[in-house]
Amino acid sequence: METIVDLTWPAGHLHKMKTQSPVAVSVDAQLVTLARRGDREAFARLHRAYASMVHGILLARVPRGEVEDLAQDVFMTAMQRLSALRDDNVFGGWLATIARNRATDFHRQKRDDVELLDDVTADPSSHTDAEAAHVLILVKSLPEAYRETLILRLVEGMTGPEIAERTGLTPGSVRVNLHRGMRMLREKLGWTS
Amino acid sequence: MNAHNDYLWDRSGQEDPDVKRLEKLLGRYRLVSSASPLPVVRRRSVAVWVMVPLAAAATLFIAVIGGKDAAFGPPASWNVSRVTGAPVVDSDRLSATTKVGEGDWIQTDDSSEAVISVGTIGRVQVEPNSRVQLIRMRSSDHRLALAKGTLRATIWAPPRLFFVETPSATAIDLGCAYTLTVDDLGRGRLCVTSGWVALERGGRETVVPSGAVCETRPGIGPGTPYFGGASEEFRAALARFDFEGAGHGDLETVLRVSNMCEVFTLWQLLPSVRAEDRGLIFDRMAQILPPPPGVTREGVLALDEGMLEVWGSQFTREEFMPCLTSCTASLSVDASQTHFGSVSCARTNVSYFES
Repeated sequence: METIVDLTWPAGHLHKMKTQSPVAVSVDAQLVTLARRGDREAFARLHRAYASMVHGILLARVPRGEVEDLAQDVFMTAMQRLSALRDDNVFGGWLATIARNRATDFHRQKRDDVELLDDVTADPSSHTDAEAAHVLILVKSLPEAYRETLILRLVEGMTGPEIAERTGLTPGSVRVNLHRGMRMLREKLGWTS
Repeated sequence: MNAHNDYLWDRSGQEDPDVKRLEKLLGRYRLVSSASPLPVVRRRSVAVWVMVPLAAAATLFIAVIGGKDAAFGPPASWNVSRVTGAPVVDSDRLSATTKVGEGDWIQTDDSSEAVISVGTIGRVQVEPNSRVQLIRMRSSDHRLALAKGTLRATIWAPPRLFFVETPSATAIDLGCAYTLTVDDLGRGRLCVTSGWVALERGGRETVVPSGAVCETRPGIGPGTPYFGGASEEFRAALARFDFEGAGHGDLETVLRVSNMCEVFTLWQLLPSVRAEDRGLIFDRMAQILPPPPGVTREGVLALDEGMLEVWGSQFTREEFMPCLTSCTASLSVDASQTHFGSVSCARTNVSYFES
């Protein structure tokens, strides 16, 4: 079946692409196709759609003060390597991998002299700030898969289905990560449900 | 799975108080999307709506795809190269290429030009009679200051990574290519060749699309963008309206001399004017470019964003192509023309000049 997906950007006139199946080719995949051809509007739209995911993945791994710069690196890398992406339908998972690798690279470059726990060095101006910083540190002490998923859920405000869709993880994996991570976090916080 | 688990999964079902509390506590660390590439126009705190891009984005970044490796680690060093004459980097004459750092000044005289490679994200040509300072070279913040003269920027990077500060506004790259000129009085003129550029001052942004020009004034900021094909009389009245008190008489002139190439600016003005003047603008716009189905006078007067967008989308129509500016800019070296350089508009054969 042929359909036309309107990739309006930003106001109703720009891109209409013919696809063979509305199921097989997502809007994001079409944006990737356009971006690969040099359409910066399409890339900007991808940037907007995935900025929170990249931010969350990085926040789960690197000090807060580094996230913004590293996120820009991630998008620069994605932009430059877009031609190497073979399946436009897996853009989210591919971008998530770039973000995770960038975080790993950051720690390698820093030779471990910067630890995640430097988030505690923030100067909290209120009790709530201090509590939030403390909770963030606890979340970041969880196993990697759990802390990433929990940060996407609790910090970035994404739902489980959104996390799965964006990161390319299966809904089942995300659900398990959320629940196990939440259980571990409750234990660390001393909260009994 | 109980109701609490459903809330954790997709916020359905009964709220889990622990999750709710954590959302509230940790939400402060959420990405604040100032980096949204959406070209939102914020003019005079009156209205916000989404701008219509007027030309397809350029294909510049294809050049880097597959050709360059990732920009990992600290930002790549910036080089400045001589194009003609003898540009000066700080106090040293530039004979070939040299590395530059934050705080360095690049100056050209009337017979010299230089080009700056902005890390891995683009290049900036410094035209004659210009003074440019490198302000910041972080990977998330590539920033220059144009004290005077003209630069031509070509950027292939995600939006909001490249900034040029001027005495009257900061140009924020949202995509691709533009020319920026600052005269001796600090007045600026932006001409967008491809993509969009935002002009920001005091937290308010005006987004200028490809094919449009926008002027700025110290102490005031950006004016209203206009197509290069706009008439001289229109531009003069618009400048008075934007920068000299927004008098009703100037608005009347703006409306009276408006035609096809000026209707884009009328659309831009809608949220900026008083409610009673908005009706006048609507009526003139409707004469030139009848509103599409579904766009009503009442809706536009109420600044209905959807209607404004739909009407704005008309500016992509073929008949507006001759109105667009293709800014081949160069700063005039004529000693009698000491302020603005000229921006010649290839499509319209219109040449701007202010002395």
